[in-house]
Amino acid sequence: MKKQSRLGGRLFIGLTFLFLYLPIFLLIVFSFNAGDSSAVWKGFSLDWYKALFQNRLIMESLYTTLLVSLLATAIATVAGTFAAIGLYSLSRRKRDALLVVNDIPMMNADIVTGVSLCLFFVAFFQGWGAFAQWFNGVQSAIELPTRLTLGFGTMLLAHISFNIPYVILNVAPKLRQMDKNLVDAAQDLGCTWMQAFWKVILPEIKPGIVSGALIAFTMSIDDFVISYFTAGSSTSTLAMRIYSMTKKRITPEVNAVSTLLFLSVLLLLALNSAREARQERRAARQEIREPSFFEKLSMRLSSPAWKWIRRGGLAAMACAFVAVVALLTGAAWSQPVVNVCSWGEYIDEELITQFEAETGIRVNYQTAESNEALYSLLKSGGADYDVIVPSDYMISQLLEEGMLEELDYSRIPNFEKIDPRFRNLPYDPENKYTVPYSWGTLGLIYNASMVEEEPDSWGALYDDQYAGGVLLINNSRDALAAALLHLGYSVNTTDEGEIREAFSLVADASRRGVFQGKVMDQVFQKMEGGNAAIATYYAGDYLSMLDNQADGVDLRYVIPEEGANWFVDAMCVLKDAPHYDSAMKWINFIASTDANLANMYYIGYASPNTEALERYPDYYREREEGEELDPELYEIMAAPPEVLERCEMYTVLPPATRALYNELWIQLGT
Amino acid sequence: MRNKRGWFAFPYVIWMALFVVVPIVIMAVYAFTAADPITNATYPTVDNFTGMGVYLNVFLRSFWLAVVATLVCLLIGYPVSYWMAKEGPRFQRLAMALIMLPMWMNFLLRTYSWMSILENNGLLNQLFRTIGVIDLYNRVAPFFVDLRNVFVTYFGGVTTNFVPIDHFQFIGTSGAVVLGMVYNYLPFMILPIYSVIVKLDSSLIEAARDLGADSARVFRKVIFPLSLPGILSGVTMVFVPSVSTFAISSLLGGGKQTMLGDLIELQFLGGAYNPHLGAAISMVMMVIVVVCMVVMNHFGEGEEQAVML
Repeated sequence: MKKQSRLGGRLFIGLTFLFLYLPIFLLIVFSFNAGDSSAVWKGFSLDWYKALFQNRLIMESLYTTLLVSLLATAIATVAGTFAAIGLYSLSRRKRDALLVVNDIPMMNADIVTGVSLCLFFVAFFQGWGAFAQWFNGVQSAIELPTRLTLGFGTMLLAHISFNIPYVILNVAPKLRQMDKNLVDAAQDLGCTWMQAFWKVILPEIKPGIVSGALIAFTMSIDDFVISYFTAGSSTSTLAMRIYSMTKKRITPEVNAVSTLLFLSVLLLLALNSAREARQERRAARQEIREPSFFEKLSMRLSSPAWKWIRRGGLAAMACAFVAVVALLTGAAWSQPVVNVCSWGEYIDEELITQFEAETGIRVNYQTAESNEALYSLLKSGGADYDVIVPSDYMISQLLEEGMLEELDYSRIPNFEKIDPRFRNLPYDPENKYTVPYSWGTLGLIYNASMVEEEPDSWGALYDDQYAGGVLLINNSRDALAAALLHLGYSVNTTDEGEIREAFSLVADASRRGVFQGKVMDQVFQKMEGGNAAIATYYAGDYLSMLDNQADGVDLRYVIPEEGANWFVDAMCVLKDAPHYDSAMKWINFIASTDANLANMYYIGYASPNTEALERYPDYYREREEGEELDPELYEIMAAPPEVLERCEMYTVLPPATRALYNELWIQLGT
Repeated sequence: MRNKRGWFAFPYVIWMALFVVVPIVIMAVYAFTAADPITNATYPTVDNFTGMGVYLNVFLRSFWLAVVATLVCLLIGYPVSYWMAKEGPRFQRLAMALIMLPMWMNFLLRTYSWMSILENNGLLNQLFRTIGVIDLYNRVAPFFVDLRNVFVTYFGGVTTNFVPIDHFQFIGTSGAVVLGMVYNYLPFMILPIYSVIVKLDSSLIEAARDLGADSARVFRKVIFPLSLPGILSGVTMVFVPSVSTFAISSLLGGGKQTMLGDLIELQFLGGAYNPHLGAAISMVMMVIVVVCMVVMNHFGEGEEQAVML
């Protein structure tokens, strides 16, 4: 009977391991897939590994992840060990009080730690800004930077803070077990405290230090939430990169990078356990254990001959470390950079490479999910962007709050090519702050093979016959605009009753289960794959969906009879942008006819550049090797004046209305 | 050494004050203030807390899903730890390594791996299609729908028509979110329980047997009570990250299973910028977590002393 229960137990453990490892196994298998799906096997290939090493964004984030984890572990281990020794020299009452504080970061939910640190850093930056301004005002010898932002440094500080408690928790028990008299004995025999530390304390507490460091490293590598709140916008760990990718298309390069990570951890573990097993065998045979690397190091470091080398060596190592860090940051600083924030799938990435080759300026290209998310990022002090590409109404709002810098048009000669139709628009009447990037309409995208008759009204979004097949656009402005239009109101209404009515139209449909989900860029994947029937999205994105639609999917675009929204996205520079000169070069480069043509072809949005609009059909023929541009599709892309007449542009809403939008929007998810 | 190296703790005390205590104080300040939408001036208020009733659903959902995930973790984790502790040292070491291993892959990667399994056109639905589970459902389900309609016509209510499906809906359901939590946090349940059980004094078990208890009784009266501290720490280690998660719910919940974490993220980096409300919700979450822990510790105190003996 005993045997049987043991078998049952093993079976249960086996099943649990299957549960733990099956997803990882599938992840690995699909990294070798020839196709780009993570669900359909199309044959073996190593393409994704090749693509991975060429994908700068993923490789950079991998590097950031490893660097922050290693640095944080190293610093937290040293600091935590000394702190633990210090704690054990304090009276019991003080120690217990401090250990309660030590527990806080471990007990608290990650998101609370992340949020509190984020608020702390932002508050500090504000205080610093005021101080630096005052300081720069009273003296001129040292110029302090007035504008600090979240970034690698703040993320590193956060990681160190949540790692130290784990180190202390692992070192403390070893200190408690240690015989206190050992240190006194060593000192009585003539050791200095430092020597006693190296020869007596360190070997005793070594296992605690090693396990503390290991746990700290694990926590750092595994962390996403705290990094997400403290890293700001231009630094990304691998986890953050994947999180932003899940909002668009995830490429199997992610599978490839996971496989590599998994295999390297597996290798390390295997090596370690092989070493342990060997040591155990040897110990069993000879009763003598080979001193470990750590012990050898500490023995060697404390032998008299090494004494002077040790002192000098430590100093030299510290110097070298500081020098390397200084060099790295110096190198990063000396190369000109421009930080750009745009939308997902909104640029031909070749253009970035081309710009970098031409000017030697490195482009740090980030994306935001929506105008509202971009605004949150800017307000929370997390963004150190130079160039942003918000839409019309958001530009008005940013201008209202004094967040934009005037542009130097003498350095943007390509602005001359912008069509007069797209200059001096209401959001920037004197055109002092913006250079248009693209324009388009918001309409209904539907899958004709899932929808019986062409939906020509926004009402289709709230129609029970498409229950479970409708994708609600995940930003309050566009989602409510569709409802307002359907009810016959202006998209810019400030009447609370009208807005609430529109909201209840959406909320009722949501309650009845009409919506499959709220999506932004996930819409590509859902519509192309035939996973949803109707969505609200932008004309340009419809065109790029057309190129990728799966078999049996027949996507169409329509501007409903109630009219729609038309928009302009324009490049702006943020106030106090750290790289104003590079920003001007970037804007001029993007405004050129060639760049506009490439972007039109790649992203499917119409360009505001007169020449590009005229030349696009020819350009299309050239790129498609003779195939003509479908004039109907070109009309969807660049809507003719009679269509634009039916469309309304968003204007900035007064703060009270914006607050109402926010409030209602959050309620929708609950 | 005593009292000589106490100053070693000094930098640490400063550090913790600066990066743990001060941030929480600042968060509290944010939570008890609000910004005027027009002038941007801040003023003290408790509106952030009083207006939170709107989100009651989110609070309830978060707690419910976290409780379910914690229970599932316990139901899987306890037997695994128990049986693991009975195996030989080699098996134990290997099993421990295998449990820790996935933690070195970031949890977002682990969650992502489930996305491709659970999608409408994902691996699981493909499997079901291939082996005919979906056909089977389409054949069997109409019968139950008809049966229900018969009842409905007698007792009143709305009759429904059967609509054949071509996939099961996994992604975007609360089940998927719970699955993601269990998958990610199961090791946090196994490790503490295992480390308590493996250290149990075997003479206690022998004594119980000598005194005539059968296996079930030994487990109920000796092993289980003595492993309670491990269970309690496992429960907190699973519950706290579950109740506050936002990545799992947004990846596997399809944006429809809003949880507390999503609500907080929305106030800071999402589409509805209001750090004051976000800080207030974070405060409430922190208080609730602390209360849970205090209750748990109180509850487990007697047992812990038993272990100390």
